[in-house]
Amino acid sequence: MSGKKQNLSGIAGLVCVTVGGILLLGLLFCPIQAIARDIKVGIIDCYSGPPAVYAKDALNGFKLALKDINKKGVLGKKIVFTTRDTKFKVDIALNMAKELVMREDVDILVGTINSGASLGVSEAVAKKEKVPFIVWIAKSERITGEKGHRYVFSTGENTAMAGKAGGVALSKKPYKRYWIAGDDYEYGHAIGNAAWRNLKKLKPDVEVIGKSWWKPGEPDLIPYLTSIMAAKPDAVIFCTGGRSMTNVMKAIKATGMAKKVPIWIHTATDHAVLKPLGKEAPEGVMGTMDYHFYYPDIPSNRAFVKAFKAAYGNPPGFPAFHGYITAKFIAKAFEKAGKINKEKFIDAMEGLKIEGPTGTVEMRACDHQAVLPMFLGVTKYSPKYGVVISSNIVTLTGDEVMPSCQEIMKARHK
Amino acid sequence: MEAAHAVTFAALGSHLLVGLSRAMILFIVSSGLSFVLGVLRVPNVAHGSLYMIGAFSAYTVFTAVGGQTGFWLALVLAPLVVAAVSFVAERSLFCRLYEREHLMLLLFTFALMLILDDLVKIIWGADYRSIMAPDYFKGSVNIFGSSFPKYNLFLLAAGPVVAVGLWLFTNRTKIGKIARAAAVDREMVGAVGINVSWVFAFAFVLGCFLAGLGGALVAPTVSITLGMDHDIIIEAFLIVTIGGLGNMWGAMVGSLIFGITQSFGVLLWPQFAIVFPYAAVVIVLLARPTGLLKSVW
Repeated sequence: MSGKKQNLSGIAGLVCVTVGGILLLGLLFCPIQAIARDIKVGIIDCYSGPPAVYAKDALNGFKLALKDINKKGVLGKKIVFTTRDTKFKVDIALNMAKELVMREDVDILVGTINSGASLGVSEAVAKKEKVPFIVWIAKSERITGEKGHRYVFSTGENTAMAGKAGGVALSKKPYKRYWIAGDDYEYGHAIGNAAWRNLKKLKPDVEVIGKSWWKPGEPDLIPYLTSIMAAKPDAVIFCTGGRSMTNVMKAIKATGMAKKVPIWIHTATDHAVLKPLGKEAPEGVMGTMDYHFYYPDIPSNRAFVKAFKAAYGNPPGFPAFHGYITAKFIAKAFEKAGKINKEKFIDAMEGLKIEGPTGTVEMRACDHQAVLPMFLGVTKYSPKYGVVISSNIVTLTGDEVMPSCQEIMKARHK
Repeated sequence: MEAAHAVTFAALGSHLLVGLSRAMILFIVSSGLSFVLGVLRVPNVAHGSLYMIGAFSAYTVFTAVGGQTGFWLALVLAPLVVAAVSFVAERSLFCRLYEREHLMLLLFTFALMLILDDLVKIIWGADYRSIMAPDYFKGSVNIFGSSFPKYNLFLLAAGPVVAVGLWLFTNRTKIGKIARAAAVDREMVGAVGINVSWVFAFAFVLGCFLAGLGGALVAPTVSITLGMDHDIIIEAFLIVTIGGLGNMWGAMVGSLIFGITQSFGVLLWPQFAIVFPYAAVVIVLLARPTGLLKSVW
C-alpha cells in the first residue's frame, strides 16, 4: 500500500515538474513568437446593411494590394488582417476597435465608412491607446481637420475637399439663388456647409433661398423635390450619399428636375450609384469624385482595374482605390521605419509618397491627410459602358482643393 | 428656420397628390400587417423583411425578363414569392406558437426578421439594386403647375384597387368572412367546426402577400437595398396603431394621415419635415389612445 502511495506521489511530482517546465518554456518562447509574428492590421467597418457595398469594395482593394505586397513581404514578414463588423454603429465600432487593440494586439487600425464612428475611434481608441488609425472611406473633414491628431490618418477625400471642389465649380456659373437639401446627418451637413462656405467666399453675392433635410434613406423624396422646384432656385446643392443618393437620382429622373434646375451633388458621378440605375440615371447632374475606374485613362489605372476585375468580377469603386493605397502606405511606411513600431510607423507615414493607380499620392505631414485630386464631371450616358458615367471631367489638384496646413492648425487649436 | 416662401394653392394641390401616392404604398403594406394582427394576433416585426424580399424578388424577375413584360411580371410574381416564403414560415413555425403570449410571438417574429435579413444578404448581396417602370410610366406630367411623376399616378390608382379588392374579399367571400370572424372570436369559429389553423395560415399568407406587393410596387421609385425593411416597419406599425389594430380601414386612414402630413410638412417646413407625421401620430394617440377606428383587439 505504502509503495503504491509513494509511486502515486512520484507520478504526481513528475507531472508537476513536466507541466511547470512546459509552462516555463512557453513563457520563454512567448516573447520570441510575438516578435516573429506578422504585421497585424485590424479593420473595423460596416459589413451589414446598405453601407456594406462600400465597405466590401474598400476591403477588396486592400486585399488586392496585399496579394502583391505579401509576395515579397515587408521587413521579412507578411501583412495580415482581421475584420470586425460595426453595423454602422458608433458604440459597436468603439468596442470592436478596443477589442482589436487589447486582445488581437493589432499594429494598425483601419476603417470605417461611418464618420461618427471614425471620429469616435480616433478619439477614444487611437489617441488614447496610441495606435495608428487610418480612415479610408468616411468623409467628415473633422477627422483630419479640427479633430485630427498624431495617431489618425485619412486615405480618402473629405468634405472640405469636396466642398471646395463644388464651390470652385459653382462659382464659375451664373447662379445666385440656391436651395440646399440633403440627408440629416453628419455627412450631409458637413458637405453642405463646406460647399456653401467655399462658394460664398469665391462668390459673395450668392444666397440660400431654402433648405430641406430628410432622414437618411428616406424612401419618398418626390415631395421634397416638388417643393424645391416650386421655389424656382437658380441651382440646387444636394448633400447626400449612399442609398439616399440612389433615391435622389431616381427622384431627379422621375420629376425631370435635372432638365429644369442645375444640380450639384458630391459623388453623383459614383459608379456604385450610377450602375444600378442603368439608363434610369439622370443626365446633366454635376458631381465630384476622387476616383473613377475609367479616368484618368492611364496604364497604371488600367492595370489596377484589370487586376481588380479579374479578382472580384466588377470594376473598383472609390473605396477600393482608398483600400488599395491604404495597403501601399502601410507597407511602405513599415519598410521606411525599418521595424514594427507604432511611433516609428507614424514618423515614416508623414510626408510619405506612394505610387497609386492614378499617380503619386502623398500623405501630407501636417495633418495626415492623403493629397488627392477631385474630378468634377457631369453625368452622361456612355454607350461604351452601357451606364451613365462622368463626362467633361475637369481635374482639380489636391493642392487646389485642400485646406492649407495653417487653416488646419487654426481649426485644431480653436 | 426659413419656411418655403410661397405656399400657394397649386403647391398644396401637388403636395396633396404626392402625399396620397406615398400613402398608397404605406396602406398596402400596413393593411397586410393589420390583417395579420387582427386575425392572428401576431405583431409581425418580420413584415418589413417580407416587403424587402418583395422588392428584391421584383428585381430578380425584372432583370430576368426585362422590359415592360418584366415589370408587370415582377408585380405579379414577387408577391407570390413572398406569399410562398410566408406560407412555409407559417406552417413550419408560426402555427406552433399561436397559443403563446404576445411577448414570445414578438420575439419570434423579431428573430425571423434577423434571419430573413441575412438570407437576403446571402441571396442578393449588399449591392444597390434598381428596376425601371415601363416607358409609359416614365417621366412626369404637369399637374397644378409642378411636375408629378407618372409612376406616382399609377400608385394612386393601385392603392384604391387593392383596398376595394381587400374589402370585396373580406366581405363577399366565405373564407374572408371566416377570417374576419376569427379575428373577433377565434374560439367561436373553431366551435362551429372550421379548421382555424388553416384560416390562420391563409390570413397570414394574404397579409404577407400584401407586404410583397408593396415592395414590388415601391421598387421602381427607390433603391432596393438592405435596410429598406427597417424604414417601413416602424411606419407601418405606427399607422396600424393610429388606425386601430387590425382594422383595414384604420390602416387606410392611418396611411393617409402619415403620407399627407409628411408631404405637407415638407412644403411648410422642409428642414424639420421628418417631425410632422410623428407629431400627427402623437396627437392622434393622445386624443384616441386605441386608434381612430375600432380596434379588433
